[in-house]
Amino acid sequence: MNSRVKKALIQTLLAMADDELILAHRDSEWTGHAPILEEDIAFANIAQDEMGHAIIWYSLYADLTGENPDSLVFFREAAAYRNIQLVELPKGDWAFSMLRQYLFDAAEMVRLEQLVQSQYPPLAHVAAKIRKEEMYHYRHTSTWIRRLGLGTEESHRRTQKALDTLWPYTFQLFTPLPNEPFLSEAGIVPESAQLHATWAKVVLPFLKGSGLIVPETCTPIIVQRDQHTEHLSSLLLEMQEVARSDPQAQW
Amino acid sequence: MKTEEEKLREFEDRIARGETIEPGDWMPEGYRKQLIRMISQHAHSEIVGMLPEGAWITRAPTLHRKRVLLAKVQDEGGHGEYLYHAAETLGISREEMLNALLTGKAKYASVFNYPTRTWADVGVIGWLVDGAAILNQTMLAKCSYGPYARAMLRICAEENFHKKQGQEMVILLSQGTPAQRAMVQDAINRWWWPTLMMFGPHDTDSINSAELIRWGIKTKTNDELRQMFINQMVPELHALGLTVPDPDLRYDAETGNWISGEIDWEEFWRVIRGGGPCNKERLAARQKAHEEGRWVREALEAYAQKHTKEQIR
Amino acid sequence: MSDTQWPRFEVFLQAAEGEPHQYVGSVHAPDAEMALLNARDVFVRRPHCVSLWVVPADHILAKTAQELAEKGWEEVETPTQTQTASYCVFQKREHRGTLIYVGIVNAQTPAQALRRAVELFTKHPSLVWWVFPVRLVTQSNIEERESLFEPALDKPYKQPTYYRTSAQIHQIKLTKRLPEESL
Repeated sequence: MNSRVKKALIQTLLAMADDELILAHRDSEWTGHAPILEEDIAFANIAQDEMGHAIIWYSLYADLTGENPDSLVFFREAAAYRNIQLVELPKGDWAFSMLRQYLFDAAEMVRLEQLVQSQYPPLAHVAAKIRKEEMYHYRHTSTWIRRLGLGTEESHRRTQKALDTLWPYTFQLFTPLPNEPFLSEAGIVPESAQLHATWAKVVLPFLKGSGLIVPETCTPIIVQRDQHTEHLSSLLLEMQEVARSDPQAQW
Repeated sequence: MKTEEEKLREFEDRIARGETIEPGDWMPEGYRKQLIRMISQHAHSEIVGMLPEGAWITRAPTLHRKRVLLAKVQDEGGHGEYLYHAAETLGISREEMLNALLTGKAKYASVFNYPTRTWADVGVIGWLVDGAAILNQTMLAKCSYGPYARAMLRICAEENFHKKQGQEMVILLSQGTPAQRAMVQDAINRWWWPTLMMFGPHDTDSINSAELIRWGIKTKTNDELRQMFINQMVPELHALGLTVPDPDLRYDAETGNWISGEIDWEEFWRVIRGGGPCNKERLAARQKAHEEGRWVREALEAYAQKHTKEQIR
Repeated sequence: MSDTQWPRFEVFLQAAEGEPHQYVGSVHAPDAEMALLNARDVFVRRPHCVSLWVVPADHILAKTAQELAEKGWEEVETPTQTQTASYCVFQKREHRGTLIYVGIVNAQTPAQALRRAVELFTKHPSLVWWVFPVRLVTQSNIEERESLFEPALDKPYKQPTYYRTSAQIHQIKLTKRLPEESL
C-alpha cells in the first residue's frame, strides 16, 4: 500500500470509529429512560453494537498507526475528533433519537454493502461481520419510524420536526474526506456520491411511506469532519472525566 | 366438592412432593399474594437498579468497560422483563405494577436507594450486590412456582457475568494507584452494609419466612444466605488488601463462619419505606421517563389498531 | 388514546436445527412485528437460537393437568361453524422443565384442538398443555437468521467464563503470601 493510500485509509478508519463511538454515547443516554422497558433493552443493544463497531474500527486504525484506542478516545480534544455533527447532537425526544438512528443505520447499511468488496481485506472482513448487526438496526429503527410517522398526530408532528432538524445534517454523512479519491481508485472504499444516491433511493420512499415530508429547501451542512458543534466538547468532558482523573492508572 | 382445607392440604402435598405449580393450578390466596409481592418487588429492583449504574456508562474509562456496562444494564432490563411477566401470570397487570412503583406504593430492594458516587462503586455493586443477588436467585430457581423458577434460571445464568466483571474491576483497582485503592475501599465502606441488608430482616423478625418455606418459595432463611455471602466475600476482600467496615467482624474457628457485627435495622426500615438518599430521585427519573414516553406508547397502539389485520375470534 | 404497557406475546425459541421450539417467556409489544424484534432483544442476547415464534397471549388456550382432571371439559365452547384450522400444541412434561413443541392438530375451536391434542399426544404424561392457531404465529424468517441471531455469538465479554477472577485472586494471594483463610 503506498503512503498516500495508507494515510487516507487511516483518516477514514478514524472517521468511522468516531461516528460509532459518539452515536453509541448518545444512544446509551437512554438507558433507564426509554418510554417502555422493551426499548430500554433494545436501545441498549443498539448502543452496545455501535460501541462494538467503534472498537473494531479503532483496532484497525491501531493496526496501522500503533496508537492505543483507549488513549485515542479518552485523551483527544474535540478539535481532533472526526465524527460528523449528526451524531453529536443531543438526544432530544424519542422521535429525534430514533430518526437519527434510522438515517445513520441506512447509511451504514449501504456503505457496508459496498465495503464487503473492499480491496483492503481487514476492511472487507470487518464489514461482513458488522453488516449483520446493521441490518438488524435498520429493521428495528425503520419499524419504529413507520409507526411514529403514521401513529398519532402527536407522534407524526414530533417525527416531522425531527426530520426537519436532522435532514441538513445528513449531507455530511456523504461528504468525502479530502483524500477519498485515492481510496476509491484503489477499490478500498466506495465513492461518497454514489453512496448518497443509493441511500436516498432507500430513505426517500421510506420516509414518504411513513407519512413524512423531506424538507426540500434546506441548507445542507456540508463541512469537513474537523468542524464540530458546541455539543461535542461537553459530551467529551463527561466521557473523559474518569479516565483523565488519573492518566497513569489502569481501569 | 372439596373444602378449602382439603385443597390446601393437597396443594401443600404437591409442594412437598417437589411438584411445580403452574398458572391455572389451584393455589391458596396467600401463595398468590406473597408471590406477587416478591416477584414484582424483584422486578422493580431490576429496573430501578438500571439507573445507578446506567449513569456511569457515559463515563466508563475504557472502551471495554463501556461495552461491558452496557451489556450488564441491558441484562438488568431483561431481568425486569422476565420478572414482570412471571408476576402477570398471577393475575396482576404490568400497568398495575408500574403504577404501584411510580406512585411510591411498591417496595423494591433498598440497596438501590444509595448513590453511586465514584467509578469504583460500579465494580463494587457488580461484585457485592450482584454476588448477593446470585445467592438469593440460585435458591429461588428451585422455587415451587413454575414461571418464577424459570425466570430465575435464566437470570442466574446471566447474573454470573455481572458479578465477575465487577470483581475484575475491584481486583484491578485494589492493585492500582493509591488513589484507586482509596476509591475502591471507600466504595466498599459505603456498600457493605446495604448489601447485607439485601438479605432481609433477621429470621426472628421475618414475618413471611415460615410460610414461604412451607410453600417451597424459599428453601433457605435470610440469615443463612447472609452468612454464606459474608463467608464468601471476606476472605477474598482480605486477599486484595481491602477491609470490611465492621469493627466487630471476627472469625469463629469452630463454625468456620465470619461473624458480622450488628446491622443498623433502623436504617434498613427507613430506606425501605422511602427515606433513602436516592429514593425520590430514582423514582422521579422513572416517573419522568414514563410520562415523557406516554405519547410514544399511545402512538404505537394507534398504529397497531389501524394496521393489524382482523383476528377472527 | 389509551396508554398501556401494550399487549402480551408469548415467545418460543428454537436453539438449533432439529430441536423443538421451547417456551422461554413473554414480551409486551403493540403488534406482532415489534413483538418479534423485542423477543430477539430480550431472549437472544446470548447464544443459541435459529428461530423465534411470537404469539399473542390472549389467543393461547392453556390448561394444566390438574385443571383438566378437576374441571373436565366443562368449558368446551359451542362450536360455531368455523372452518377447520391448524393448531400448534405445546406440552410441559417435567416439573423442572418448560413447554415444548410437540406438533399440530386440526380443529374447529381451541377447545376441540386441546381435546384432540390430549388424545393424540399420549407418549408422555403432560403437566401443562398450550394450544394456539398456527396462523397467529409470527416467526423469524430463515433469511434473517444471520442478522437476528448471529450477533449474540460475537459478545464473549457477556459470558462469565471470559473473566479469570479466581485465578487473579489466587495469584495475588501467592505474591503476598497470605495465610490460607477458610472459604
